[in-house]
Amino acid sequence: MSDEHNPQNTPIEAQSSETTSGTSGTPSKDIDYVRPAELPEQDLYHGHSFITKWIFCQDAKVIGVQYFLTAVFTGIVGLVLSWLMRLQLGYPDLVPFITAEHYYQFVTMHGMIMVVYFLTALFLGGFGNYLIPLMVGARDMVFPYVNMVSFWMFFIAVCVLMASFFVPGGPTGAGWTLYPPQAILPGTPGSNMGIILMLVSLSLFVIGFTMGGLNYIITILQARTRGMTLMRMPLTIWGIFTATALAMLAFPALLVSCIMMTLDKMLETSFFMPAILQAGEVLDYGGGSPVLFQHLFWFFGHPEVYIVALPAFGIVSDLISVHARKNIFGYRMMVWAIVGIGGLSFFVWAHHMYVSGMNPWFGFFFATTTLIIAVPTALKVYNWIITLFRANIRMNTVMLFCLGFIVTFVNGGITGIFLGNVAVDIPLSDTYFVIAHFHMVMGIAPLMVIMGAVYHWFPLVTGRMLSEKLGKWHFWFTFLGAYSIYFPMHYLGFIGVPRRYFEMYDSPYVASAIGLNEFITIAALIVGFSQLIFIYNIVSSLSIGKPAGKNPWKANSLEWLTPEVPPAHGNWGEKLPVIYRWPYDFNVPGAKEDYITQTTPPSKVISAEVEKT
Amino acid sequence: MHPGIIFLGVVVGSVLFHIFTPWWWTDIASNWGAMDDTINLTFWIGGGVFILVCLFMVYCVFMFSYKEGRKVEYKPEDHKLEKILTIATTLGVVALLAPGLIVYNNYINTPKNALQVEVNAWQWGWQYRLPGEDGILGTAQVTKITDDNPFGINLDDPNGKDDILIEDDVLHLKTDRPVKILLRSLDVLHNYYVPQFRAKMDAIPGIITYYWFEPNKIGEYEVLCAEYCGVGHYAMRAKVIVESEGSYKKWIKEQETFSDLIAKKEKDKLNITLIVKNND
Amino acid sequence: MSDNSLNNLPKGFKGMSHDMGSDQTAFKGVQWGKVMMWIFLLSDTFVFSCFLISYMKGRTSTVVDWPNTSEVFSLHVGGMPVPLLLIAIMTFVLITSSGTMALAVKYGYEKNRKMCGWLILATAIGGLTFVGMQVFEWSKLIHEGVRPWENPFGAKQFGSFFFMITGFHGTHVSIGVIFLFIYARKVFRGDFDEGKRGFFTTMKSDYVAIEILGLYWHFVDLVWVFIFAFFYLW
Repeated sequence: MSDEHNPQNTPIEAQSSETTSGTSGTPSKDIDYVRPAELPEQDLYHGHSFITKWIFCQDAKVIGVQYFLTAVFTGIVGLVLSWLMRLQLGYPDLVPFITAEHYYQFVTMHGMIMVVYFLTALFLGGFGNYLIPLMVGARDMVFPYVNMVSFWMFFIAVCVLMASFFVPGGPTGAGWTLYPPQAILPGTPGSNMGIILMLVSLSLFVIGFTMGGLNYIITILQARTRGMTLMRMPLTIWGIFTATALAMLAFPALLVSCIMMTLDKMLETSFFMPAILQAGEVLDYGGGSPVLFQHLFWFFGHPEVYIVALPAFGIVSDLISVHARKNIFGYRMMVWAIVGIGGLSFFVWAHHMYVSGMNPWFGFFFATTTLIIAVPTALKVYNWIITLFRANIRMNTVMLFCLGFIVTFVNGGITGIFLGNVAVDIPLSDTYFVIAHFHMVMGIAPLMVIMGAVYHWFPLVTGRMLSEKLGKWHFWFTFLGAYSIYFPMHYLGFIGVPRRYFEMYDSPYVASAIGLNEFITIAALIVGFSQLIFIYNIVSSLSIGKPAGKNPWKANSLEWLTPEVPPAHGNWGEKLPVIYRWPYDFNVPGAKEDYITQTTPPSKVISAEVEKT
Repeated sequence: MHPGIIFLGVVVGSVLFHIFTPWWWTDIASNWGAMDDTINLTFWIGGGVFILVCLFMVYCVFMFSYKEGRKVEYKPEDHKLEKILTIATTLGVVALLAPGLIVYNNYINTPKNALQVEVNAWQWGWQYRLPGEDGILGTAQVTKITDDNPFGINLDDPNGKDDILIEDDVLHLKTDRPVKILLRSLDVLHNYYVPQFRAKMDAIPGIITYYWFEPNKIGEYEVLCAEYCGVGHYAMRAKVIVESEGSYKKWIKEQETFSDLIAKKEKDKLNITLIVKNND
Repeated sequence: MSDNSLNNLPKGFKGMSHDMGSDQTAFKGVQWGKVMMWIFLLSDTFVFSCFLISYMKGRTSTVVDWPNTSEVFSLHVGGMPVPLLLIAIMTFVLITSSGTMALAVKYGYEKNRKMCGWLILATAIGGLTFVGMQVFEWSKLIHEGVRPWENPFGAKQFGSFFFMITGFHGTHVSIGVIFLFIYARKVFRGDFDEGKRGFFTTMKSDYVAIEILGLYWHFVDLVWVFIFAFFYLW
């Protein structure tokens, strides 16, 4: 037995030694005491028609699936755009349809879709909506009507974004960062209707996610069930919670910058537009500051990447813990690391602006804060691998994706250290090193978590298991393929290949990069198409997948403990659950099974030497 | 095949790729070798962390795969270990940040004897201006740019008259002499980047940005625009020729100054009036 | 939650950490709608802060002189220019309306439907007056040549920031006025007394909704104070 147990454990053992079996009598009641309910039962709206049950539905689980499917749809569009980009980069003369204009439009839409409409919507809207009420023991979100409206706002935002493909001039080709003055000037594709639709779509997205975000935060803060303290919540919830808090405070900057750029375009104001000479004519603009846009955008943009990363951190902690049959190491440190990373993320934004021409002295400050934020992030990585130490690891598809996450995230995180150190960023900024870095750390690593999470929670949502065999093929193609795409890409950055280049031409020292570009393109196409294995797995398992039954992974957290699987409307049936412990009681010494669910009262596991949380 | 072997292969493969990669940074041709050194230091520390973390993970995957009834350690926290890891990580961070900030400090403090070179960026090309004999660049404004005054120099400013104007996109520099690049953009964001010099900075319309470097290797270098500026971004190239003092002086003598340009434009106007007159 | 059990909880800073560490709710006895409004207002604060900080950046880095605000914003009364008269009246009206709103909340909790309803109406009228005066100011400035893209008094950005920031604020006030009228009707009809279910959300109405609307109204007032200080007085 470990010597470092919390000494507070001893009173429980002492009590149990005073009773016989501990199932009745006052001492057990003391052990099993949980505070009475503070609030009356939530008043839920029950839909009865097809429309109110599946379309305009207020059930967070349905809304979660709606977000998930819409986000995946946009992700597929983004994936196809990436294939077109890679075709141009690997085989420049192959597809004459891809002109420079089209290429930059693909680049922009791919970036914006993947970061905002796919990843953010998936983690917060998809996983957040489905898992939050279940994991905290609520029947639904606190404002189901507003929640429903938030999804439809997101849906409209997606429609507006997709509409920009069909307007004259096409979608904007300004790069996902939409920097002025170029974004609204001719010379950049889509500088008429395209950019307007993009800005309108983003504004709608922000409004919708503010509505959703209020739901997630308040459900977690005010609607937990009896016994569920904040420090007994799964790390998934902590990750999504902190990410939502970031969203509430970071999206305003995006909204403001979108409004100001829309006015610059439509009313010829000069918020971001200085004196400009175009085609020999001095334009009517003047006095504005392009760097102001960059400050506003990155004040949003940096927390945005943590909005994507933090839920991934939280989810992967839970996936590792369940499938390694071991408590997550250092839970409290993990919580503080998530919160700390979230808070610090507001103080690092200008590391995206080291060569932007901002006041050079800012570089010292932001390099320092950026490297400070590396510390809690590194601690999380250590805790994940220490969790694996002396565990009992099930090498199933979920665990493989977790391991893939660790490899790719550490790789991407380290290259972030390169870029955060301002002197190192100067030669590397705006090169393929940056592209490789953010794809590794924001594309591949969170994607590993998303896929692992789907394999993990599919049995809950549908009642069936996904095929392990297909899952393993899917994993190895995706992980090895994606790693082969982005690891070598860093070296393109080292030789100086700039980003957002339609063609490199025959520059003397990058002639050698042709082969590498071709390799990366082939790998990208293979990885892209291998996602068909995943889609086939999902679609076929819906009908022929092995029935999962209740809690097939033998997990501890509440979402697996509903009376019906998949959970019905209202989640918990007659009675709300009561919580007695944290969700990480795996392989507790003295316990009969290798897991103790959160709803198991202490009197049922008297002999277990649990950590008192 | 045990998955651990494949993960191990990924780590080993990454290290081998790094050692044997044919794609490595260009030969440095400026004084900013310190940037390369900082990158190398980051590779040692960061790469070391990557290898250690992944190897530990692979070890766990081999040693602790699922066995019914395996004894698992139940240790929710270990304050001593967490403290050690925090301190070690912080030391690693400081070891990277300190040299990096020292290099950066040098980067933003231009040496006093640096030659000023104004680089004008526009969609999608480059032109240059040197201060001429008086060593001072005349003030200029985008709004003053006309066909006769392609750099928009203030006609009232006496310092501008002897400015050397280079309207094609080839810049010559003297080797072993620090250069301060003053960036001005006429329309949108651009960035004057020569990979061999390592240094770069965006050109922002409305303000003047700068960076400095000292070229120390004679040769011809391609300039790449390194801030997306529209459909011509990838084609916005230029050339820098670093040469000895003698060749540089010869090149300078051949360039025209602003007063030369003004005189030429006057003469052209006069010739046209004469031609018109003669045709009457 | 009954008043008794609220009183039994630890108070002060110790109470804060106790509440955060306890199960079920982090903010004891606070309805979900109230927490929602506070968090939404925090987010909205960031929106207006971004606007105002951008304005300050534009103002400090202006290449052309900024218009003299006391001249531009003056009204001519009896041939004499009175600087900042209009916005002084607007500020007074808005702050008074915050006062009537606070009173409305008090009467609402006392279930005094008549007083509550009339005070909500008074607040709505105050808000409407404010918006009307803002519209008047806009039309006066537009008449004098101020546009979002330029103006005859100085830097271009003056008009841009002015219309954008006051427009955003005015929109917030207008939305508040609409809700105030709706709530006045609900109060007079007795919806809050009988817990009538809302049209959209189908949730039961309660007098706390008036307090929540009051929070929004006070926020709108506070933002105006900052705009007034930064835009008009500076």
